[in-house]
Amino acid sequence: MEEIKTGVYICHCGLNIAGTVDVEEVARYAGTLPSVVVARNYQYMCSDPGQALIKDDIRNLGLNRTVVASCSPRMHEPTFRRACQDAGLNPYLYEHANIREHCSWVHYDKQLATGKAKDLVRAAVRRVSCNEPLEIKERPLNSNVLVVGGGIAGIQAALDIANGEHKVYLVEKEPAVGGHMAQVDRTFPTLDCSECILTPKMTEVGQHPFITLLAYSEIKEVLGSIGSFKAKIRKKARYVDAIKCVGCGECEKKCPRRTDSEFDMGLAERGMAYIPFPQAVPHIATIDRKEERPCKAACKDACPIHMNVPGYVSLIREGKLREAYELMRRTNPLPAVCGRVCFAPCEDACNRGQMDEPVASRALKRFVADQVNVDDLEIPQVTRNGKKVAIIGGGPAGLTAAHDLALKGYEMTIFEALPEPGGMLRYGIPQYRLPKEILKKEIAYIERLGVEIKTNTYIGEETQFEDLRKSYQALFVATGAAESLRLDVPGEDLPVVIQAIEFLRNMNMGKKVEVGKRVIVIGGGNTAIDASRVARRLGAEVRIVYRRSRQEMPAASEEVEAAEAEGIKIEFLAAPTKIIAEAGNVSKVEFIKMKLGEPDESGRRRPIPIIGSEFVVDSDTVIPALGQTSDVEFAKRLGAKTSRRGMMVVNEATLETNIEGVFAGGDVTTGPAMVIDAIAAGKKAAQSIDEYLKGEAVSPKENERTPQKLSEEEVSALKKRFPYGDRVKAEEMEPEARIRSFQEAQRGYSTLEAQQESGRCLASQIEGCIECGECKDACEADAIDFSQTDQVIELEAGTVIVATGYDLFDPSVIAQYGYKKYDNVLTGLEFERLTCAAGPTEGKILLKDGREPESVAIIHCVGSRDQNYHEYCSRVCCMYGLKYAHLIKENTQAAVYQMYIDMRCFGEGYEEFYRRVCDEGVNFIRGKVAKVTEVALTEEEKGKLIVVAEDTLLGRIVRVPVDMVILCPGLEARSDAEDIAKLFAINRRADGFFLEKHVKLDPVATATDGVFIAGCCEGPKDIPDTVAQASAAAGKALSVISRGRVVIEPTIAHVNEILCQACGRCEEICDFHAPRVISKDGVRVSSVDGALCKGCGACAVVCPTGAMSVSHFTRKQINALVEALLEV
Amino acid sequence: MPEFEPRIIAFCCNWCTYAAADIAGTSRIHYPVNVRIVRVMCSGMVDPMYVLKAFEKGADGVLIAGCHEVDCHYLNGPLKCDAMFAKLKRVANALGLGDERLRREMISTSESPIFAQVIEQMVQQLKSLGPSPLREGVKV
Repeated sequence: MEEIKTGVYICHCGLNIAGTVDVEEVARYAGTLPSVVVARNYQYMCSDPGQALIKDDIRNLGLNRTVVASCSPRMHEPTFRRACQDAGLNPYLYEHANIREHCSWVHYDKQLATGKAKDLVRAAVRRVSCNEPLEIKERPLNSNVLVVGGGIAGIQAALDIANGEHKVYLVEKEPAVGGHMAQVDRTFPTLDCSECILTPKMTEVGQHPFITLLAYSEIKEVLGSIGSFKAKIRKKARYVDAIKCVGCGECEKKCPRRTDSEFDMGLAERGMAYIPFPQAVPHIATIDRKEERPCKAACKDACPIHMNVPGYVSLIREGKLREAYELMRRTNPLPAVCGRVCFAPCEDACNRGQMDEPVASRALKRFVADQVNVDDLEIPQVTRNGKKVAIIGGGPAGLTAAHDLALKGYEMTIFEALPEPGGMLRYGIPQYRLPKEILKKEIAYIERLGVEIKTNTYIGEETQFEDLRKSYQALFVATGAAESLRLDVPGEDLPVVIQAIEFLRNMNMGKKVEVGKRVIVIGGGNTAIDASRVARRLGAEVRIVYRRSRQEMPAASEEVEAAEAEGIKIEFLAAPTKIIAEAGNVSKVEFIKMKLGEPDESGRRRPIPIIGSEFVVDSDTVIPALGQTSDVEFAKRLGAKTSRRGMMVVNEATLETNIEGVFAGGDVTTGPAMVIDAIAAGKKAAQSIDEYLKGEAVSPKENERTPQKLSEEEVSALKKRFPYGDRVKAEEMEPEARIRSFQEAQRGYSTLEAQQESGRCLASQIEGCIECGECKDACEADAIDFSQTDQVIELEAGTVIVATGYDLFDPSVIAQYGYKKYDNVLTGLEFERLTCAAGPTEGKILLKDGREPESVAIIHCVGSRDQNYHEYCSRVCCMYGLKYAHLIKENTQAAVYQMYIDMRCFGEGYEEFYRRVCDEGVNFIRGKVAKVTEVALTEEEKGKLIVVAEDTLLGRIVRVPVDMVILCPGLEARSDAEDIAKLFAINRRADGFFLEKHVKLDPVATATDGVFIAGCCEGPKDIPDTVAQASAAAGKALSVISRGRVVIEPTIAHVNEILCQACGRCEEICDFHAPRVISKDGVRVSSVDGALCKGCGACAVVCPTGAMSVSHFTRKQINALVEALLEV
Repeated sequence: MPEFEPRIIAFCCNWCTYAAADIAGTSRIHYPVNVRIVRVMCSGMVDPMYVLKAFEKGADGVLIAGCHEVDCHYLNGPLKCDAMFAKLKRVANALGLGDERLRREMISTSESPIFAQVIEQMVQQLKSLGPSPLREGVKV
């Protein structure tokens, strides 16, 4: 081992040391210590000649250790280390003894001080003998910069770096950049429009070739250290294809679910699909989908017109009935009708039905429709295109087609054979199920759209089909299926027999209809039930005879149950064979019993007569209801194809007939079906006709969607989440009362019942988007993509700039200021939205009731300079308060009161602005506001908000009655500041803001090398200071980048791999993730990332084997120091 | 017989208490000569063995001082030091040394008068306690 040769140098520091310490004596003593080959004292060791002494001795005497006893090592240790290095000695083979600050300056007694100085020198000599040479290492540096936060600070820093042609990743949590500055209307004191000066910068950030903008993204993990940070970014799914989206905003217009707009501070609403503000960068929509919809929305798929059931049901739950109605109307022109008579395939498919009972979507639809008077609906402005379309048949299919085409600008005429439009709705369905007034109103609305309805016009009499073809560019045949199918038994034409369709039509036309005491209805469909229930209401005893069993009955089961409740008997498995007239109106009907055989083409089991089982029943009236067919004679004459069953033949996907320009749909093509099927046909025809008349190819319309079921696992999971809830039953008349009148049997829901029932809908119970699909239908770019998932992006950067901004203090915690309690107590940022021309009031300063305020109080220091909340000054409130005062003065006649503690107007042009506002006649009251109240003490105070404050200049309490109170909340550390601090190992001050490395001299650096801070995350500041700090942080980052390499300090932890047991305690205790237990050549050992290690030594303390130690602070070195200090 | 002068070893963190001691010097705040400061990078770096070594070599009292929690240069050093110090006190009691000879302080850069005060107090207390039982070369 090399012999240790130490040189010791005692500094006089003029008399600073030499005045109290006998430096000669100390030098003499040092010379006696082991290993010391030279000991000198000198006036000023830090001077060039002083340093030359050391350098010369190293060179001439071959010193391999040096000790200087002088001032604090925090001052001159680097100086002497450099001197050693210059002379070829490793700088870590140097030791410093602090005999000035820790000795000569704090003790009077020269003898004692000299003794202490000797101790310190002896210890330093002992320690230096244990020191080891250490190497400063360097490492390449990644020149990418990660900027966190897209407010003005992040934007500015990103642009500064990108303009220096270094790659920037700008990560923003929100869907768009801009931060708080984008919400501000004007900036003080220049009053220029904030958006106008910010937008060009936002656009530049969005388009800069050196900036990758990761909006709607969050940092999940950061590893590594200066020069090579590795970050994982979670890019949240927008459910919108960013490339396809053109930012048209149609999705937001169509979205039925609304929530408070964060950008407009809750003063306006936004859709679940939304673009936060008009200038947003990136200018693409985002869907606020918080979770996957719990159900499959099978209701929507089951509905032939795919009504947005989850949409309107959830709007009912929120109490937004008007919006629910408008949503229903988008797809269904007859909501009140369907709310009563639709057979509701949606309910059959409803996924809630798999758990307990389906949601009563039909009853809810009726409830909403009943809240709206159709006569009051506004008629949308439509530009007429001059093209004429005729519709033959005024039933639901024809009405729907007319409605949809009229909205597209066509001139529509409906030809209806009967005296009134409505088809089966008007003449088939009895009054007790569908009051005629309801139907009339919905048809009247269609007429108000400009649809002409020519009633009593049977095509084929005065007006011929051919004539229509000449006068109209397209025809839609929707004549329905109103012809009864015959029984084909003897006696069918006897006067006691009346066809059900005819019977119902006569009733609905108001004709006098009489039935005998005993009525037999033959058939099992809805018409049979309708006819029997009408006959029952006319006082008859009614018996239904159906040739198959209950299971095969095509009628809706609820209708069958209602009929039975009304005392109607149903006889199964029997068919009539003949009707025999007797005296007068009395007759007998002979039936034969049936049994069920093999299934026929309809899938139902075929009834087979049992020979010899005939029986006879007495009856006064026989009403056959076997089914219906269509009258297609007029069409046949023109050469339209018809089927064997008497239906018109169409291309089912387009509803085109074999004749050009003639379309057909509804019952006339399908045979008797449901109202909603007819409406679906009308919609399909309208689309096809529109395409045809625009000269486009008529496209096939795939309307069929298969409703999805929940899996058993999903059902049991949902049962846990959503407890059992009975379906809310709408009140119904008792059967005894029902049969005495033709009043509507079922009453609608009350508001409470509707809200309760709508709350059973699984989709309505979740927050955010319920994936109802309105946006998808509205998006022409086909950009909506619900299959998107969050993506994790990994990126590398050499430096990081954190510019995460602030939160506004929530003034609702100061209850006495009445925020959220009184309508006209606003926060500053709310007022910014109010004065913004693009804001909810288009820039008008208005009270909640729409009046202009006559007086406004502006309360300063809300949550700032207040020991109960934040003790610090938020630095911007005085100035923005003055700005509000100016804007109120400029735009209204209102008196303005500034309630302030101190006016702090410290920036460029600020004091001048203060003077200007003073001159504008604003009242300044110096004193803290105690409370805002509505309790009036005088007549003058009535109806006002009274601001109670102490006027410290007058020395008394003042009460100021005003119309509006604007609170100036302070700025506070963001709620997620702690998470960000942990990610980047940044320190925070007691107030929660990020701590700079040095408050005066290193204000944008942090404790973590390579991580810089800018803007309000470091503390409250105004825009100019924020921008300056952002540029400073960018400059710091650029300075690191331009050096191009990272210096790794040698005074860090290192592992003695032989001693290491890989217990992981070092990994656990380290806050910088520097030591990690790894596998090295198959052996598990701890390994320290030198760039992360700060050299704090915590790992060495917890290391049970002594494997871990910090270079230059090893156990040996510290023990040597301690031992030497205590030796006498 | 001259008055007993206790010997104190103070482990001071580089960033706060060592700097506070520097500023005490700059401000000429005088305090008893009995203390010898050992510079460590962080109070969390102080190994209990260093403290026991000090007593072994004849210290009468040991001070461990560093940043307040919020000021720590290394995030949580003071907390780590507190945890170590709690254990150290138990060991000191077990050794019959008593925990009155140990002192843990958080002294920030701006608190140099407090540093001087703490030294003053320790000297007073140690004088009343008398020399460490481990002094005079008693081996542990």
